[in-house]
Amino acid sequence: MNQLILAVLALLSGAGLCLLNTSNRIRAAFGLLSQVVSMLLVWSVAIPVLMGGPAVAGGIAWAYPIGAIHFRLDALGAFFLSWSLPMTLLGSVYAVGYLQKYFQGTRHVGVHFALLNMIALSFVLVYTGDEVVSFLFGWEVAALAAWQLVIWDYTNQKVRFAGFNYLVSTHIGLLFLVAALMILYTHSQSWGFGEIGRWMSRNPGTLRNVAFLLLVTSFGLKSAFFPFHSWLPRAHAAAPAHVSALMSGVIHKAGLYALLRFTLLSGKPDPWMGWFLIAFSVTSAVIGGLYTVGQRDLKRLLGYSSTENVGIAGIGFGVGYLGLAWNSTTLIALGFGGGLLHVLNHAFFKCQLFYAAGCVYQIKHVIDIERLGGLFKLMPVTAVCFVIGGVAISALPPFNGFASEFMIYSGLFSDVRMGIWAKLTLCLVGAVLAFVGAVSALSITRAFGVIFLGNARDTRLPEGHEASRWMLFPMGFHALGTVVLGVVPVAGFVLVTHPVSLFLRAASGSAQVAALQSVTGILSRIGMISGALVAVVAIVLWLRSRRTSQLPDKNQTWGCGYDAPTARLQYTGASFSLDFSQHFRNIMVLLKREKAPVGYFPSDSYVITDCVDAVERRLYNVIDHGDDTATDLSRRMREDDPRLAFATGLAGIVIIAALVLLAEGALQ
Amino acid sequence: MKIALHLIHWAFVLVMPIVLVGVVNRTKSWWAARKGPRIVQFAYDLRRLVGKKPVESTTASPLFRAGAYVVLIAGILAAGMAPMLGQFAPIRFSHDFIVVAYTLGLGRIALMISAMDVGSSFEGMGTAREAAFSTYAEPALFLLIGTASAATGMTSFSDLIGHLHNTPYYGIVVAPLVLTLLILLQAEAARVPVDDPLTHLELTMIHEVMILDHSGPELAAMQFAAALKMTLYAGLIAALINPFNPVTSPLYCVLASLGLMLAVAFVVGCVESLTARLPMRWVTHYLMVASAAALGCMVVIGVGVSN
Repeated sequence: MNQLILAVLALLSGAGLCLLNTSNRIRAAFGLLSQVVSMLLVWSVAIPVLMGGPAVAGGIAWAYPIGAIHFRLDALGAFFLSWSLPMTLLGSVYAVGYLQKYFQGTRHVGVHFALLNMIALSFVLVYTGDEVVSFLFGWEVAALAAWQLVIWDYTNQKVRFAGFNYLVSTHIGLLFLVAALMILYTHSQSWGFGEIGRWMSRNPGTLRNVAFLLLVTSFGLKSAFFPFHSWLPRAHAAAPAHVSALMSGVIHKAGLYALLRFTLLSGKPDPWMGWFLIAFSVTSAVIGGLYTVGQRDLKRLLGYSSTENVGIAGIGFGVGYLGLAWNSTTLIALGFGGGLLHVLNHAFFKCQLFYAAGCVYQIKHVIDIERLGGLFKLMPVTAVCFVIGGVAISALPPFNGFASEFMIYSGLFSDVRMGIWAKLTLCLVGAVLAFVGAVSALSITRAFGVIFLGNARDTRLPEGHEASRWMLFPMGFHALGTVVLGVVPVAGFVLVTHPVSLFLRAASGSAQVAALQSVTGILSRIGMISGALVAVVAIVLWLRSRRTSQLPDKNQTWGCGYDAPTARLQYTGASFSLDFSQHFRNIMVLLKREKAPVGYFPSDSYVITDCVDAVERRLYNVIDHGDDTATDLSRRMREDDPRLAFATGLAGIVIIAALVLLAEGALQ
Repeated sequence: MKIALHLIHWAFVLVMPIVLVGVVNRTKSWWAARKGPRIVQFAYDLRRLVGKKPVESTTASPLFRAGAYVVLIAGILAAGMAPMLGQFAPIRFSHDFIVVAYTLGLGRIALMISAMDVGSSFEGMGTAREAAFSTYAEPALFLLIGTASAATGMTSFSDLIGHLHNTPYYGIVVAPLVLTLLILLQAEAARVPVDDPLTHLELTMIHEVMILDHSGPELAAMQFAAALKMTLYAGLIAALINPFNPVTSPLYCVLASLGLMLAVAFVVGCVESLTARLPMRWVTHYLMVASAAALGCMVVIGVGVSN
């Protein structure tokens, strides 16, 4: 416990030192050093807990009105903590390379590193908080620090807008969270999670259902589930690459953590909660997947794929909920285990993809895929990391995304006894997941093919070369993790075993062991197949390269008889997605601006397709419309009209009465 | 006995692609009243290609050559897990069908990346089509498996297909499921009416246009992999119809499976001779027929069990 307090102090003092009046280099060094120290301190507590040790609890006395702050680190929190801090550290290392050009300038880079420290600090608070105050405090620290990090390039109005958009959205989520916590507080009379949990597990009913819906909404906003995702593509496109990576891969996993935390607290859920969660997550996965197809901005594309992937993890959690409701250890182990493993795997490959995008942006200064091309030969390390991440994000073997999606599929197609329609519904969800997988394969092939393969489309851009080692190292490390967790998925499952056992509490000891062991058995098979695949491909390629007599001659690409091809003849991202997206015109809003060529020797013509967010468009329409209506209404109403005063009073009484009814009588 | 079945399965994996391509081509020549190539002509073609010195595009990256072998190996691995002889597969464990589908997916993404690698507009076009159509084909396979899973309650691919024979719904669902698999075969193995392997116009190709720049051993790998996918789906159709159990009556089972796979190749050849390929905009609808048939089977089983 003391180590956790020391880690918090280390991060705070590191953040303070980052602000000192020295050179930017020293400030960054302070930031990185304090993160290393706190990471080691946190590991010294979290790893024993994660490996099955008892939960660590403690508290600090605090002044009125807070009373005391309670901390409790169990296996679930330890799982999230154990990788969140090191990944934040890797992101900070990447920042050193990414912000290189600011180090010599007058810009205060220390603030950025101090904010990264605050992100790490918020993880410690959120993942160990055992009562509402410290949990919400950490939640808010994360939100504000992320907002500040997003607007690094604050002189750009678009970036400021994206940041503000994020700030507003995340606080709307906070309102839902506070509403839920207020309901729970009024009934359990305590800010402690333990008391809240006891009340929730004893009182299933309307109020718990309302609290569940409010919590899911709030955590959905945090993790960018559809339709609460509209802030996400903007924020990810505007932020520096490492900030997008950390937000998508690490920070917003707090929403999923909180969902699981309240699941553990609330006791046995009703089956409808599982179905609701599955429906909510499937929608997210499908819409997120579809939107990745049309994007021109690589970071926006990756942002939408976060919505898709939290949806996939959410499907796993929904299966786990059904397992809890039906007392099926198999479904609990596969659902929560698969979901948690997917969260970890997603953190690995998503950060890696964002880092690759950042490398491209730093060298080329654009991230519009239509202007890039042929980067493989100039940036081979970045390209290989991107393709590994791309195969993993499409959940294909032999990389880690496959292992976790395999577990989630196994949960959907399980042999657990259930009603036939429930069974068929789960199989249908499996088919939808297959569709999502194929869509993400499409969009990642499109992104990789257009950016890294072929020839450079725009020769006016700066010459490409590999990015600095500060950026390649974190990316390579993530790529290594993606490969290792794919070939040895059991290693990933070891990390989630004890968190999953928390959900299996209700089952007997032998049933727990049996459920976990069967999963380990399947995963070791998957690992063997992935390993064999990697090995055989490597051997065949090695043998092929040894046949020197058959090393190929070089010639230009077959142009189907046309002998003067140019780079502009290559297939573009927009044309690539057209075949697919024309069937989904109702869901994806494709804005097209074009100027058709005129005459025999046309000089200027263009087609520009943009895939804009339908939810955001609708939202702004409604806000716009609402604004007008309100103005109109206020103009027509007269303050001295007695009818208006009576009507307002009546509405007030009705609302108060409804609140009293909802709270089941007067409060004590 | 088990060992013999293993050997026969792997022999099927290696030999049947050649034979099935031969049968399809012979069927087409028969309809056209031509003599046609030898049944094993494809093997000679492959041998010729393997001996050739390839030409590669100057634009291509190292992924180009690697892609061809990933496609081949992924295809072989998937075929090793597909229950072509009925309730048997050399590699089997619970939920292995997910590995089959996703290994084929790996092959597909490797194929698409190799195609994008040469920076040709035609190959980009083929890739876009392949990617778009595969999103329609993928759910159909999982719906089919969902049907079998609901009917049998089993979890491994071979049990799902093998046990379906023992359920009361077999008679109703077998025809639609065979249709689903046949459409998947045509889509995945690039056959008419989805794609035409013999067309000479790049604008109308899907699979062939993606391998335009492959030559020599890499082209051989790609062509064998495509034939292997046809074998895999033909084997699944055979297993779905095959009335014998490979463990209790292995000889009949293997012979029936062989005969059924040849019959599937004959049907594929007849379709190719008697119909033209579909216009591109209809292909997605055609693929949706596969999903719809499987979905219909699911509803039948749902109604059947709940009554």
